[in-house]
Amino acid sequence: MGSEAAAASATETANRTDGAAGSHSKVSVRSLDFYYRGYHALKNINLDIPERQVTAIIGPSGCGKSTLLRVFNRIYSVYAGLEASGQVLLDGENILDRGYSLNRLRTRVGMVFQKAVPFPLSIYENVAFGLRHHLRLSRGEMEDRVERALREAALWDEVKDKLQTSAMGLSGGQQQRLCIARAVALRPQVLLLDEPTSALDPIATGRIEQLLSDLVKEYTIVIVTHNMQQAARVSAHTAYMYLGEMIEFGTTSDLFTRPQRRQTEDYITGRFG
Amino acid sequence: MQQSAPRLILKRRARNLGSKVLGTAATLFGLSWLVWILAVTLFNGARALGLHIFTDITPPPGAAGGLANALFGSAVMSLLGIAIGAPLGIAAGTYLSEFAERRPIWRETIRFVNDILLSAPSIVLGLFVYTIYVRQVGHFSGIAGGIALSLIVLPVVVRTTDETLRLVPNMMREAALSLGIPRWKVTVQVLYRAAAPGILTGVLLGLARITGETAPLLFTALNNQFWNNNIDGPTASVPVVIFQFAMSPYDAWHSLAWAGAFVVTMVVLLLSVGARTFLLKNRIDSNG
Amino acid sequence: MNADAVEARDRTAVETRQDTLFRFVLFGAASVVLFVLAGAALSMLWGGRLAFQTFGWHFIFSSDWDPVGKHFGALVPIYGTLASSAIAMVIAVPVSFGIALFLTEIAPGWLQAPIAAAIELLAGIPSIIYGMWGLFSFVPFMSEHVLPWINDHLGPLPWIGVLFSGPPLGIGMLTAGIVLGIMVIPFISSVMRDVFRTVPASLKESAYALGSTTWEVVWKVVLPYTRSAVVGGIFLGLGRALGETMAVTFVLGNAHQLSASLLMPGNSIAATIANEFTEADSDLYLSSLIALGFLLFVVTLIVLACARLMLHNLARREGR
Repeated sequence: MGSEAAAASATETANRTDGAAGSHSKVSVRSLDFYYRGYHALKNINLDIPERQVTAIIGPSGCGKSTLLRVFNRIYSVYAGLEASGQVLLDGENILDRGYSLNRLRTRVGMVFQKAVPFPLSIYENVAFGLRHHLRLSRGEMEDRVERALREAALWDEVKDKLQTSAMGLSGGQQQRLCIARAVALRPQVLLLDEPTSALDPIATGRIEQLLSDLVKEYTIVIVTHNMQQAARVSAHTAYMYLGEMIEFGTTSDLFTRPQRRQTEDYITGRFG
Repeated sequence: MQQSAPRLILKRRARNLGSKVLGTAATLFGLSWLVWILAVTLFNGARALGLHIFTDITPPPGAAGGLANALFGSAVMSLLGIAIGAPLGIAAGTYLSEFAERRPIWRETIRFVNDILLSAPSIVLGLFVYTIYVRQVGHFSGIAGGIALSLIVLPVVVRTTDETLRLVPNMMREAALSLGIPRWKVTVQVLYRAAAPGILTGVLLGLARITGETAPLLFTALNNQFWNNNIDGPTASVPVVIFQFAMSPYDAWHSLAWAGAFVVTMVVLLLSVGARTFLLKNRIDSNG
Repeated sequence: MNADAVEARDRTAVETRQDTLFRFVLFGAASVVLFVLAGAALSMLWGGRLAFQTFGWHFIFSSDWDPVGKHFGALVPIYGTLASSAIAMVIAVPVSFGIALFLTEIAPGWLQAPIAAAIELLAGIPSIIYGMWGLFSFVPFMSEHVLPWINDHLGPLPWIGVLFSGPPLGIGMLTAGIVLGIMVIPFISSVMRDVFRTVPASLKESAYALGSTTWEVVWKVVLPYTRSAVVGGIFLGLGRALGETMAVTFVLGNAHQLSASLLMPGNSIAATIANEFTEADSDLYLSSLIALGFLLFVVTLIVLACARLMLHNLARREGR
C-alpha cells in the first residue's frame, strides 16, 4: 500500500494506543552526546520514547541510528574508546549513571540484531539461556516460560516438536523469531530492534512486522530501520536522524505527510538517501 | 614495428607456456619428494613392524626387542605437554581475542612474540627448559620433557584459539551480553561453544607437532633403555630412540628405528588429516 | 510493568569481580608467551656466559673445536648453518614460487585443495623422519648417482669447481642443503599462495583485459603487489631452515672441519648441540654448546621478526 495509506493506518493505531496507554514516556533522552574514539557520533540528542508503542528511528546510512539504539542497553561498554554523556532516563532513572547496574539494565531492555544470531545450542536452550542465568526455575516453570516466549514470537507451532534440535537448522526468518523469543523470555520492558528484517525475504519480513503489532501490547518497542515503508507500516512515532543529530520526531503520520523540517522532507521524498 | 609485433606475441606466449610448464614441474618435483619419503618410511617401517614392538622394551645392541618403553614414554610426555600447553594456550588466545581491547599494544606484542615462538627452533626451547628446570632440579625427567613439549604446543594453540574466536561474529557476543550475561559466561558458554571445532583442531595440530619432536627431549627427558614408571626420571621416547638407534652401526637397531619412524609418521598423519577433516565437517554443519 | 519481569538480584558486584578475575587469569596466561621468549633468550645467554667470557668475540671467528684442550669456536657450526640454509633457499624459493603459481593460476579448481593439502603434508612430516629417510635412502642415492657426476663434471670447472669436488661420501653440505630445502618448501609456498590470493580480482582482471598473459599478470601485477609479503615468506622459510636440527644432524656428518667443497661433511649449530650435548664433560664444553644455542636463537629471532613484520604489512593493507 502507498506510504500515505500506511501512515493513515498507523495514525489510527497511534490514536488508539494513545488513549489506552497515555503519552507516558518510557525512555527519555536528554542532551545525549556519544563519542566513538574521539569522533562525535551523536550530537545533543533529545527524544521521548512513548510507552507501549512502536517508535521507529530512520535516516540514511551512518546517521547514528544504530549507535543511538546501542546506547539504550549500553552494549557499547564492552569496547574501548566509546563514551556517552548526557542522560538516558528509563522510568526516571539515568541508565548512563555509573551506579546503574548493567545487569539490571539488560533485563529491562532487550535487543534483537540485524542478523539472526542464534547461539550454537538447541532451540530450547537458546530461549532458556537468559532465564537460566537470572532465575532459579524448576523444570516445569522453565518449560512454561520457554513456551510462552516462543508463542509470543509466533514460533511455537513450528518448533514445538523439535525443541531439542539445533537452532542452526532453522530458516533465516525462524532464527530471527527465535532471537525475538530469546529476548522476550526475560520479559523486558523495552525491546530494541536493529534493522531486524534487513536480511530477510518479504514474507519473513511481513511475519515479523505482524509480530510487532502483537508484541507492542506488552512491550515498548524501538525499531531502527533503513526502510521508510517499514517505518510507516509498523510505527506510531518516528524519529529522523541525520549525521548524528535528531532532526525531527513526531507521530508517524505527521512525519511522513507533514514533515516540519526541510531535511526530513528531502529524505522521505527520496531526494537523497 | 609491424613485423616485430607477431614475433613479440610469440615470445610472450612462449614465456607464458614456459611458466606454466615450470610451475607444473615444480609441483611435481615437490610432490615426488613427498611420495618418496612416505614410501620409504612406510615400506621400511611396515617391514620392521610386529607385535614385539609394542610388547618388548628397547634392547641392548645385538639383542632383540621392541619400543614399548619408548612408546609409553612418548605417550605420557605428550599428554603432559598437552595438559600444560593446551589450557594455557586457550586462555592466552582468549585473552588476545576477547579481553585485550583496552591494551592494544600489549596485545599486538604478544601476538608478535607468539608468531615468532611458533617458528622458533625447538632445540632452543629444550635448552631453555634444561637451564631453568633440569639444572635446578638436578636430573633429567619425563616431567621436564613434558614441559618442553608444552612450550611447543603453546604457540600453536594460542594462535588457533585467537583466530577462531575472532571469527565468531560480533553480533553473537552482543546478543549474549544484551541478555545481561557477564562477560566470562558469554565467553565460556557461548563463544567457546561456537569456536570449539577450531580450538580442538588447534590442540590436535599441537599434538601432531610434538609427536615427532626430538631435539627438546634430548636435553630434558634424555633417554632410558629400561621400562620407566617414574616420570621424574629419565624417560625414553620414540623420537630419541630413533635418533640413537639410527645413528648406530647395528642393523637390529636400524630396524627398530624404522618401526618407530613408521609409528610416528602414522600418528602424525592421522592427527593432521583427522584434525582438518573434523574442522571442515563442523564448519559445514554450523552453516547448514 | 510486565508480570514475571526478571527482577534480577543485583549481582553486578559479584559478576564484575568474576569478570575481573577471569580477565586477570587470562592475562597471566597470555603473558606466559612473553615470558617464554624472554626467558629462553636470557637463560641461554646465562648458560653461555662462561664461553663468552672465556673466548670473547673470538668465539665467533674461531674454528677450533677441542674438547680435550678446551678450545671451542663457533665458526664451523655457524658456517654450516649458513651454508646449508643458503643451499636450501636456492632450491626452495624457486620451487615454492612454482608451486604457488601452479596452485593459484594453473591448476583447475578441483585440483587445488588436494594438491595444497599434499604439499602441507610435507610440512607435517617430523624432522626426524626426514633424517631417517635422508640417511638411509637419500644419502646412498646421492653418493651413488649424483655426487660422482657432480665431482666429475662440475669439479674441474674453474673458480666454482672447488665447491663441487670431493669424495662422494653422500653425507655432506650439499645433501643437507637439499634435504633442508625440501623441508622448507611447504612453508614458503603456502605463504606465497595465501598472499597471491589476496590480490584483488579487479586488479588482475584489468591486466587481463589489456591482453596480458597469465605469466605477465603474475610477474607484473601479482608479485609487485605482494612483494613484501613474499619476502616475508622467504624469511619465514629461512628462519625454519636455520633452526632445523634432526634432519641436518643425520646427513651433515658432524665433522668439525671447514672446507670449501659442498661435498664434504660439516656441522651446523643445531646438529652440534644435539650430537654433543650428552658428551659435554666440562663446564666450558657445555657452556660453549649453550652459547652456540644463544647465537642461533638470536639470528633466528631476527629473521623471524623480519618475516612477521613483512607479512603483517600486507595483512594490514588488506584491512584484516
